[in-house]
Amino acid sequence: MQQSLIAIIVILGTVVVYLAMAKIYARLPNPILIPVLTATTLIILLLLLTNISYDEYMIGGKWINSLLGPAVVALAYPLYKNRHILISYIYPIIVGVLIGLFSGMISGILIAKVFGINRDLILSIIPKSITTPVAIQIATDLGVEPSMTMVFVMIAGFSGVILGPLFLKWSRINSSIGRGIALGSASHALGTSKAFEYGELTASISSVSMTLCAVLGSIFGPIIAWAFHI
Amino acid sequence: MKKEAVVLYLKNSSIMKGLQIIYQIAILYAFTWIGNVIHHIFPIPIPGSIIGLILLLICLSLKIIPLKIIENGANFLLAYLPLLFIPAMIGIMNYPSLFSISGAILCLIGIVSTIVTMLVSGTASQFLEKKTLKRKDNKKCSSHLSQSL
Repeated sequence: MQQSLIAIIVILGTVVVYLAMAKIYARLPNPILIPVLTATTLIILLLLLTNISYDEYMIGGKWINSLLGPAVVALAYPLYKNRHILISYIYPIIVGVLIGLFSGMISGILIAKVFGINRDLILSIIPKSITTPVAIQIATDLGVEPSMTMVFVMIAGFSGVILGPLFLKWSRINSSIGRGIALGSASHALGTSKAFEYGELTASISSVSMTLCAVLGSIFGPIIAWAFHI
Repeated sequence: MKKEAVVLYLKNSSIMKGLQIIYQIAILYAFTWIGNVIHHIFPIPIPGSIIGLILLLICLSLKIIPLKIIENGANFLLAYLPLLFIPAMIGIMNYPSLFSISGAILCLIGIVSTIVTMLVSGTASQFLEKKTLKRKDNKKCSSHLSQSL
């Protein structure tokens, strides 16, 4: 009885904090005020102040977590809606996404190895360019803490949104296909939201690349980890 | 007359919309569940939810399932997707070491690797796009030539 009361309070609290932060973001659309970041920070502060542990929070949090599965399945919807774009550019999209997937995972592993990062952290870096619900799944399959992977997923998203346009311009990636695949396969959903600023076609290609990256990443992630003896 | 008005009211009310979204999410949940079952029974190295995604895509493409049956539920979940990340994200509270020099190095690794990914995939796909366009142009040219000959 007490457990379900805690669960209800946690779920309602999380939803209310998120909605409030989303409202603030709608008024001040600054990338630092993105609701996931502000809501997470605020809830962590609240938990620390009230001396509630993560395990206790997860009594309710696991119910929100359980919606991640259907959310991954829901990604079939934008993919289906954009199927004409996928079919007409199938060759550059598939090859581009595969190249993006491999360069993202392998560059992460190699740079981390240069810095002498430990095994668990390297494993959490691998799925960083993949959309969060799937990245959580891949991290769990690799046997590492999903929250660590989420930090890297957020870093990949933000560096794509903030630094992406600069580097795209500098490297003369200026076609809808080039920009869409670059943003979608490096910075997942956040990159796709940025891609909207380049137009509908770029955004659709970015969304398709993000979803393909997630599907292929869940297959190749463990294989790459194994191939690099991590 | 009155009865029809009530039915119309119910159809447009937010309660009905809410129920419809819950029902549609339940359908998406069923796909996740089937995906997980397949993942456990067969030795497929793909997560259950991704198998569910592929199954739904197949069902939509073959028109086994009409788009209308999942559209609102899928839109709802995708619109509130960031909310679903919060519980997993809060897990970093167990890693206070992240807010230190080693945390800054990890952050740098993430940024550099992301930029590399972006440049490599963007350049490669733009190159491939131009190549396919050229090939199409060549085909057009040759067909024109054969016509004029």
